[in-house]
Amino acid sequence: MKRPIALALVSTSALAVAACGGSSSSTPTTASAPGGTVASASTPAGSGGASLNTGNPSSPVTLNESGSSLLFPYLQVLASPLQAAYSNITLAPTAGGSGKGISDATAGTTQLGGSDAYLSPGQMAANSSLMNIPIVISSQAVDYNLAGVTTPLKLTGNVLAGMYQGKITKWNDPAIAALNPGVTLPSTTIVPVRRVDSSGDTFIFTSFLSKTNPAWSSGPGFGTTVTWPAASGELTANGNPGMVQTCKATPGCIAYIGISSQAAAQSAGLGEAMLQNQAGQYVTPTQANVTSAVNSGVSSVPANLAAPLIYEPGATSYPIVNFEYLVVKSTQPDANTAKAIRTFLAFAIDPSTGSTSANLAKEQFVALPSSVIPKVQAAIAKIGP
Amino acid sequence: MRARRLRDRCFWGLGALALMLIVAPALSVLISVFHQAAPSLGWSLLTKATNGAGGGLRNAMLGTLLLLLGVLVVAGTIGVAAGIYLAEMAGPRVGGVLRFFSEVLAGMPSIVIGYVGYVSLVVEFHWGYSLLAGVLALSVLVLPYVVRTTEVALRQVPTALSEASAALGVSRGRTVARILLPTAIPGIASGLIVALAISTGETAPLLFTAGFLDGHNPSLSLFHHQVPYLTYVTFTDTSLPGRSAHQLAAAAGAMTLAILVVLIVLGRIVAGRARRQTDRMSL
Amino acid sequence: MIRTSGGDRSAKLVLSAAAMIPAAALGFVVFEMVKEAYPAIVFNGARFFTTKTFTIGNLYGTGVEVRHGYKAAQGATFGILPLVFGTLVSSLIALVLAVPVSVLGAILLVERIPRRLQAPLGVFLELLAGVPSVVFGLWGVYTFGPFVARDLYRYISDLHIPWLTGAVGSGQGLLTSSLVLAIMVVPIVAATTRELIHSVPVLTKEGATALGLTPLESVRVVTIPFIRTGIIAAALLGWGRALGETIAVLLISGNFLNAYPKSIFSSFSTMASTIAALLDGALTDATGMAVHALAELGLVLLVITLLTNLAGRLVARRLRGPGLPVGRGV
Repeated sequence: MKRPIALALVSTSALAVAACGGSSSSTPTTASAPGGTVASASTPAGSGGASLNTGNPSSPVTLNESGSSLLFPYLQVLASPLQAAYSNITLAPTAGGSGKGISDATAGTTQLGGSDAYLSPGQMAANSSLMNIPIVISSQAVDYNLAGVTTPLKLTGNVLAGMYQGKITKWNDPAIAALNPGVTLPSTTIVPVRRVDSSGDTFIFTSFLSKTNPAWSSGPGFGTTVTWPAASGELTANGNPGMVQTCKATPGCIAYIGISSQAAAQSAGLGEAMLQNQAGQYVTPTQANVTSAVNSGVSSVPANLAAPLIYEPGATSYPIVNFEYLVVKSTQPDANTAKAIRTFLAFAIDPSTGSTSANLAKEQFVALPSSVIPKVQAAIAKIGP
Repeated sequence: MRARRLRDRCFWGLGALALMLIVAPALSVLISVFHQAAPSLGWSLLTKATNGAGGGLRNAMLGTLLLLLGVLVVAGTIGVAAGIYLAEMAGPRVGGVLRFFSEVLAGMPSIVIGYVGYVSLVVEFHWGYSLLAGVLALSVLVLPYVVRTTEVALRQVPTALSEASAALGVSRGRTVARILLPTAIPGIASGLIVALAISTGETAPLLFTAGFLDGHNPSLSLFHHQVPYLTYVTFTDTSLPGRSAHQLAAAAGAMTLAILVVLIVLGRIVAGRARRQTDRMSL
Repeated sequence: MIRTSGGDRSAKLVLSAAAMIPAAALGFVVFEMVKEAYPAIVFNGARFFTTKTFTIGNLYGTGVEVRHGYKAAQGATFGILPLVFGTLVSSLIALVLAVPVSVLGAILLVERIPRRLQAPLGVFLELLAGVPSVVFGLWGVYTFGPFVARDLYRYISDLHIPWLTGAVGSGQGLLTSSLVLAIMVVPIVAATTRELIHSVPVLTKEGATALGLTPLESVRVVTIPFIRTGIIAAALLGWGRALGETIAVLLISGNFLNAYPKSIFSSFSTMASTIAALLDGALTDATGMAVHALAELGLVLLVITLLTNLAGRLVARRLRGPGLPVGRGV
């Protein structure tokens, strides 16, 4: 039942985006607002390339990446156009979770570490050459597996915290019913699913819970791994795809799933919750809602680019939004590798090459806002031998 | 008497049940892995590289073979040399101590070897995820088996042979190299095959030493280049959604099992030859 | 008596160096583990063995925990009781199921199955021993786990024994893991038992038959006493394998930390699989304590596994004949 609808949604949005991309990047329509905003203000590839000293390295360089399973499919999308533009740069991404991304980049076993979470203050202090480079904006959906429920359920961070604390255990709990008048809720047991690997998705989800539930804030708190309260029957899964898989197999599940796996989640028949934002409105992670969250939060992005975009104000702001980072060392072993990294990062944030609306739409990501791009370029410029 | 017969029947009945309990899961594993892999089995598995949750297994297959080659070189050389020393040269006390440590090493949990490989080889020595780190982790794991089988194979060579050789005035070294070693080769080879079989199926020690490389063939360089391998694909794609991922996971599992069958058959042939050889010698 | 030459001496030097390598590798592994674990040993003290919560703490918190001069992330606490429990219980259940089944099966195989069928069954046992743990994981997730949740669950929970009933979910948990571990231990014990039975002196067996003993009585009086020690040794080795198993358990245990399993169907975790699951995240702890704590966990696992293994080998040493063929499957 749900599959054709989901497909239709995906294909119409892809069509809309493709149409915009085809016309011109400087004439934004409502559907491509983020891409349009960026394109109108950011520097085109040529001039940006000159200031960042980018280009095809003199000998072949393989850029190994590991980390965030949310960012992984997007990097796969970028790999072949990157090689087409710069024949000596091969991007080799692997998944494994944000924790792996950060630790691999810190240890220098990969050049790039994909992470949904920015580096912790402790990590930045311990490794002064590590930088967070945001390349795209992502969001996170909250999904559930309830066969009979067809209207999207409305949920708040507070209620979600209750579920993950093991305090709200049945889907027909009064706390959930109160948010969803008119919806017949089954008495199915709630099965909270969480990530077993060290994950940026856990980071942004628990950030949301911390901002909306005081007990969560003073208890488990937020992080790429947290001490989960014991909720009976809870399950764990590996990576975003694992979350979809586990939730699909478990009636009554509730799971937080990165937006790039949302198409898979919907074709698996999972429902997508509407989440209450700071203004009290219930919203879904559409590109427009994500963009308004970014616009509210973007003014406070510091120079080190470590900024949460969680529970931002604004009537249409989606509450769980984040930068997708690549963690990079500013000091590289040789000039060629440094050039390859600068070139790839500049390519990735450029709306005319990497973050085109077509590429973004494949994973339902949103381009970086134009006001952040100069700060990112300044960070990229620091990468050298 | 009838009670005794009845008890006897019951016992064999239980035995049959036990044998079934052994055979049934093994059959189930084989059938379900090949069944799950069936749609994706074909030449494209060998011609295409992994691509996220899809594609083929060319790169993983090559990486696994490369790792096996490395294990053969490293654990093979060291293990056989150590086995020769223990069988032919070590005094009882030194030999006993070395044998003891080797046996202790055989009981090491593989995740501990992976952990140490990561903190020392990958990070401390700055090798990164690399072929050499993966090969060394696997080699440490299988070394005790190679040492032991080499030693046993050499010891099974009849003493009359080496005595005859010594009586003819041939030096000890030449005796070992020209007489004992060739005789023991089938036995040594079957030990190496066991080492390769163990290496084929390991995941835990490789996760943190070899890394993984999606979409590309493994590089021949020893350092800083991640290595794709089959068990990683099974491990990762098992928890990905979508039929294609599960098929690929199962296909990689089936491929691992196929390598294993080849090794077992090879081991049988070699072991058979070894047995014939000792039989002939002892005549 | 035996002539040695200069070439011999240098060859001996090279070979003896090679013979040191396994011992050196062992020393290196143990040294690295102790070195890595040391800060955690000081930081945790006895708490490591007496508390239930294992968490690397809030890496984004403002404070740090300081104990005995070592720092850890805010809220970090490392207690391994449920992990030790999970490791021991799952491996013991596996052992209790696997040993009788393998011994009975092996006796039947040798005594009753026609010689023609023995060879293929032997290959089959070898293959079962060689099935990679990740393949058992795959099978556990898609075939065996659902079977446990759907079919086995009904029979077991109908018994209404307190610890044997509870929420089953998709089949991941203690029972599924223990059964898979049992299947992994079977070939080790069965193959060894088979070898041992072959080594029972034919004359004694024939004597038993001549005395009019039934085959069962002959097995009980002659075979079992002869092979008992060997079976104990094989069981100890199999236990070692079950204790250290990582990947299969990681895929099918449900990875539940910080509490004891409520029932045999509950999610749980073992020491080995927890190291694999948490290492990546632990490496992001800037204080480094999370990694040290995992090293301490690894060290405890190492000690337990080596003890069972050593015990197995000491028992095996009392046997004559071909020592033990196996240790890590295959």
